[in-house]
Amino acid sequence: MLQVENTLFTIVMLLYFAAMILFFVYIAIKKDPVAKIAIGLQLAGLVLHTAALICRGIGAGRLPFTNQYEFATSFAWGLCLVSLIFLLKFKFPVLGAFSAPLIFLIIGYAAMQSKDVHSLMPALQSNWLGFHVSTAIIAYGAFGVSFVLSIIFLLRDKAKEGSFWDLHIPSREKLDLISYRSVALGLLFLTFTIITGAIWAERAWGSYWSWDPKETWSLVTWIIYMVYLHLRIRRGWQGKAAAIFAVAGFICVMFTYIGVNTFLPGIHSYK
Amino acid sequence: MDALKKIFKFLSSMTFAIILLVVLAAACAAGSFITQGQTYEWYAEAYSESAAAWIMALRLNDAFHSVWFVVIALFLCGNLLLCNVIRLKSLIQKSRQAGEPKKEPEQTADAMAHQISDPVQVFERLRMPKPKSLEQDGKQILFSVKNRAGIWGAWVCHLGILLLILGFGLGQMTKAEYTVYGVPGQTLLIGETGLFLQIDDFQVNLREDDTVEQYTADITVFRAPQGSTAEPDSEHAVISVNHPGRMFGMTFYQNATGWAARVTVEKSGSPIQSEIVCAGEYLPVVDLNDLVIVFNAFYPDYVSVPGSMPMSASSKLNNPGYLYSVYYKGNIIGMNVLLEGEQVTIDDYTVTFTEPQNYTLIQIKKDSFTWLAFMGGITTMIGLFFAFYLQLQAVCAVRDEDETWTVYGFCNKGGKLYEDLFSRAVQNTEKEAGRKE
Ligand code: HEM
Repeated sequence: MLQVENTLFTIVMLLYFAAMILFFVYIAIKKDPVAKIAIGLQLAGLVLHTAALICRGIGAGRLPFTNQYEFATSFAWGLCLVSLIFLLKFKFPVLGAFSAPLIFLIIGYAAMQSKDVHSLMPALQSNWLGFHVSTAIIAYGAFGVSFVLSIIFLLRDKAKEGSFWDLHIPSREKLDLISYRSVALGLLFLTFTIITGAIWAERAWGSYWSWDPKETWSLVTWIIYMVYLHLRIRRGWQGKAAAIFAVAGFICVMFTYIGVNTFLPGIHSYK
Repeated sequence: MDALKKIFKFLSSMTFAIILLVVLAAACAAGSFITQGQTYEWYAEAYSESAAAWIMALRLNDAFHSVWFVVIALFLCGNLLLCNVIRLKSLIQKSRQAGEPKKEPEQTADAMAHQISDPVQVFERLRMPKPKSLEQDGKQILFSVKNRAGIWGAWVCHLGILLLILGFGLGQMTKAEYTVYGVPGQTLLIGETGLFLQIDDFQVNLREDDTVEQYTADITVFRAPQGSTAEPDSEHAVISVNHPGRMFGMTFYQNATGWAARVTVEKSGSPIQSEIVCAGEYLPVVDLNDLVIVFNAFYPDYVSVPGSMPMSASSKLNNPGYLYSVYYKGNIIGMNVLLEGEQVTIDDYTVTFTEPQNYTLIQIKKDSFTWLAFMGGITTMIGLFFAFYLQLQAVCAVRDEDETWTVYGFCNKGGKLYEDLFSRAVQNTEKEAGRKE
């Protein structure tokens, strides 16, 4: 099973790469059919990616959510899923051109991690882990999309009236609303992630909140997006300022995900 | 008076909320970057003298429990409370008004008007509930509204955060926490609770690959009887990692484990002392307190590699090795690894290590407000769902003199996206009407 997963993973990477290149070609030659093929490739990648995750789960005999490799590949999956949903729902292929590199970057990061399957230490053997991580995957995916949308929002002002960009990117107001939708999705799931994490910590370690760096940074992320929401409501801050906060929010997401493990001392282990 | 009013207005404003949130995020970030709970000397060593002075002055060494952190949290609570109290009345009003037809487009920012012959289809296409028909100013009106609860989303979310902070704060102030550790057969006192914990059994389940699958402790907790004849009031539980037990209103967690062994001291051939000692602990000899035996570490499957540190080949009890050291008047006088059956002799005394076994470390907690924090979390979730996914929508159709209808649509926070949706519903309705004709 793990062998199958390995092969699928490689194919998925190639598909995501091909989709990214085609999205770039679409931007370069501005022909809509190219975007359709790119979306098709990405969809095919997502389907195989789902199959790869299932194989990993069967091969490891548990949910594939427990180490850096597994979370990275799941993160790429979540980002691809949410990106495709937004792209198709709002008929907005340019979004694909911006999210594809991010997806490829994250799955590339996954490829660099060790793929070994380790048995779980007792603290990780909890049903809450499944809820905790699967909601985090959707939350991170949605925040990734809001990040990409905010970047597009900030770049949009440079588009000349009547140009390809102007015609193929929704208006500022719509972009802001779409970005708000993705932040909303992310925040709802992040809140769920934090709550299920707290319940799990309470059962495993006897304390639902202990200011561990990972907990603290997920709270910082949560607060940043809450600020984004309130800025959006305030007159004069809608748009650019809110978009900048959405970008900052995603930087926090990435820091929570990678930075905390790398730079800060943590106690997320059973010793 | 005016100044007071201004201050009050600021304290209850969203601007203040945004400032507080940003400060809180910055405080959390600072608290995570600076290692918590260290001394001035430690920071001076790790950073610099002046940084250490700042850290101590600002209490950044214990940021999350410092006075200023609590003050920020309290301000946020006050801000939230005021905000919710102030907005309650207008929300009730808004909620009532949402049930009334909005036929005038200028009533709402996002309202749109379209002329159409079959309005019912527009309601259907927008997945609105079946419209009510009523008369106003001599005109027939069709009206339908959905997701009214969504108006309350932000308010409910704010309430949830209040409950969460309240539950967490009260828990921090009142919680009690104890730790006991020992081996099966031992009975231990739990802090000042007057309760005793008896370890009936403790198992470490290993997988085939030598990794730990689970730690399971069988424990009985009892209150020492007042009169000697009374049966002790006792409760029993089996606890393992991720499966705590509740007894006497407290929660018992299987928290950690390690190795322990029986250390026996003999003097001139007759035993004078025999105790279970955990690895890492020490044992002063009873009749010569200046002589101390330290049980430094334990290797269940000891292998000796010349020139390197002692190590264990596996977690199985194949060849127990006990690393010990002996101190006399605070000075180390010996250190070595003893194997099963070996002994160390110091003048008249001989020391042996036997009965290697796992000890369990059990954490005992009592937090009477966890439920409140949990309720707060759930309330917040519900509020967020309402705010984001139940957006108030209303559609109203007014019959004109010439028998055509004008439909108006409204969606709270829907903006241009809702306008598109609405226009599409109207256009599709018209297209279909055209086809029928
Ligand atoms: C930790 C603190 C807070 C959290 C988590 C929070 C959360 C939220 C959320 C989720 C929304 C809905 C946003 C949307 O629908 O897009 C909201 C809206 C709002 N918040 Fe907060 N908030 C907090 C603090 C505050 C405070 C202290 C105030 C008041 C001064 C405030 C004032 C408002 C207002 C006026 C709205 C708009 C309400 C509406 O659309 O009906 N918030 N808040």
